Amino acid sequence: MRRVPATVVLVSGFTEHILHVDMDAFFVEVERLDDPSLRGVPVVVGGLGRRGVVASASYEARARGVRSAMPIGEARRLCPTARFVAPSHRRYREVSGQVFEILRSFSPAVEGISIDEAFLDVAGLRLLWPDAVTVGAEIRAAVRSRIGIPASVGCATTKFIAKLASARAKPDGLLVVEAGTELRFLHPLPVTDLWGVGAATQAALASLGIRTIGDVANTPVETLVRTLGSAVGTHLHDLANGRDPREVGAGPGTRSVSVEETFTDDIVARDDLERELVRLCDRLEGRLRRAGMRGRTVTLKVRFSNFATVTRSATVDGDVGYRSELWSVVRGLLDRARVGGRAVRLLGVGVSGLGADTGARRLRLGGERADAAARAAASVKERFGEDAIVPARLVEPPPDTEGRRLR
Amino acid sequence: MRIRAERDDLADVLARAGRAVGTRSPLPILQGILVEVVGSKLTVTGTDNEVTVQTYLDVEAMEEGRTVIPAKLAAEAVRKLPAGAVSMTAADGEVEITGNGPRFRLREMNVDDFPSVTDGFPAETVDVDGLELTKAIGQVGVAASSDEARPTLTGVLFEATDEGLRLVATDSYRLAVRDVPGVSTSGTRLVPYRALRELARTVGDGKMTVGLGEREAVFATGRGRLSARIIDAAFPNYRQLLPESYPNRVVVNKEELLEAVGRAALVAEDHIPVRLNLHDGGIGLSVIRQEVGEETEHIAADYQGEEMTIAFNTRYLTDGVSAVADEEVTIETSDPLKPGLLKGANTDEFRYLLMPVRL
Repeated sequence: MRRVPATVVLVSGFTEHILHVDMDAFFVEVERLDDPSLRGVPVVVGGLGRRGVVASASYEARARGVRSAMPIGEARRLCPTARFVAPSHRRYREVSGQVFEILRSFSPAVEGISIDEAFLDVAGLRLLWPDAVTVGAEIRAAVRSRIGIPASVGCATTKFIAKLASARAKPDGLLVVEAGTELRFLHPLPVTDLWGVGAATQAALASLGIRTIGDVANTPVETLVRTLGSAVGTHLHDLANGRDPREVGAGPGTRSVSVEETFTDDIVARDDLERELVRLCDRLEGRLRRAGMRGRTVTLKVRFSNFATVTRSATVDGDVGYRSELWSVVRGLLDRARVGGRAVRLLGVGVSGLGADTGARRLRLGGERADAAARAAASVKERFGEDAIVPARLVEPPPDTEGRRLR
Repeated sequence: MRIRAERDDLADVLARAGRAVGTRSPLPILQGILVEVVGSKLTVTGTDNEVTVQTYLDVEAMEEGRTVIPAKLAAEAVRKLPAGAVSMTAADGEVEITGNGPRFRLREMNVDDFPSVTDGFPAETVDVDGLELTKAIGQVGVAASSDEARPTLTGVLFEATDEGLRLVATDSYRLAVRDVPGVSTSGTRLVPYRALRELARTVGDGKMTVGLGEREAVFATGRGRLSARIIDAAFPNYRQLLPESYPNRVVVNKEELLEAVGRAALVAEDHIPVRLNLHDGGIGLSVIRQEVGEETEHIAADYQGEEMTIAFNTRYLTDGVSAVADEEVTIETSDPLKPGLLKGANTDEFRYLLMPVRL
């Protein structure tokens, strides 16, 4: 592992052929591009209303403890001197398009993960460049000189390690994890750095005394499988041992965004299923909006109390992203899943076949008002946070009306 | 069963009936076609339980009988025999197909498993010009949806009006209406476009008898009979979607417009709309795709109205313009967020309502 200043050219070849390019504080840097007075001072981009959250914070603000997804009020308290800016997602999409154009000018194998990060496979460039690290350095220089914003790059033999490397290269750096040194790099890191380890898995691992990735690697896979199930257990064991065969997928079709929820109490009533699915569609809309994407294929996942799982998917003509659009597809999928009266422990909704949201919407006949409503709701959420508007059926009745029926 | 017929005639009746056979039917028997001989009349039946096609042929019949054979294989086998007479014989669980040397022996499918097919007609039928009807169906069919999750939108509405028959289809992004004056059907039925699409190629002919029953729509000609299960669902109230009048109107040459949209579509693919700037001198078309490039051009045309820009999906626009049966196309608009109307410059028989893309 080594940190590489952009000017130093190294000759290490193309063994570490996977690059993870991640824009530093992307929204903040785009705002600075358009308003130079924001440079050198703490900047927070986020919804400015009472319930808004932080979408992106400059490193000066992060030094004061400001984090993404934090309520904006808390950010103001931690960093009162910061300049607070409302997000302009259309502009971020535009700059993102320029960044991806630069990435594609280097390699055709570009897999966008979100609006501001992507994987590249540069193995095919060995005749053009001395080594993968140089490609990474050149990409950073190109983004800096042609657009004027910083990017960090991680360079490794696998996608998983490249992504961890870019996180540690920040801000504005490049980090190579050389072939053969992967485990030395990985093992001291906390388990939460493994893909797919959330709070629940972390707690399950902690109960086994597992805290670092090295602990995972040194635990027999059978033990992990017993605790976490076979898919997750094997997957984590592989990652912890530096095994990640996933290839960089080029273009759309290989990416997806999904949300899911495991319920403390199983759900049986159809009405409750529908309400939870509307909630998931609402969350998914937020994820898609922040990623600047829309998708073509919608997938519903239903896991029953006996862990039997069914998935159903449908591909639409055109694309979807708004909650109402997602829900109209998911409702049909729910019928096709034939849940009947069985108890459900988990629901998930995902979208694949993603493409950048160009802002254009194919309207439906008689659907002008629905579109205007969805668009207004989205802009309110951008400004004031995801909870600023919720679907009517998710609103809890105020306690004093409980039990009473309105006529 | 034992018959002899000309290769081309036999291949034709087998292939046309075979068009109703689904490629991935859950029931193996539905991969087969029923071949029946009564007197000197051969009847071939293919079905997927929703759509049924029967075709007829006069043959030299040595022995009456009925059998079920794999649809695609049998049709291809006959087609690939040498030209001339072909004989088909069913006996002992096998069907032998021979002609001028080559000999196929195909395993018979169980004839008792084949769904029973009626060849009756609904109580009321009407005789129509089959060629005009299939052309009219083709015009509205482009607007039908192929999304099986919303069955209502996969049909074509047959509606009896004061003037005659009206066909309507919509996938919710566009709506096509075609009036066929002088054809009086009774009642209103929703017929799957998947079945109607096969009409021209399976049984289409000049003289056609149409019956719209409660459960089944039947289309019969001298070449055969196609029946389709009626979609039992309420069609959207389309009349409220048709605006009374439009303030803006442009008349443009159909071929010029099609070619221009075709060029724009090269850049647009399916997800970027083409912008139409409507102004005094005609239509300015432009499409801009951030990572690819752009295309712009101008078509001289007669425009009356306020200058405006409206954007459409290129495929939907192409479908609509192509369906207009006139050398000149009229496009009427009111607002960039309200539907535009496409029709022939000289007739209102066909109307295509298209929602714009909001930019």
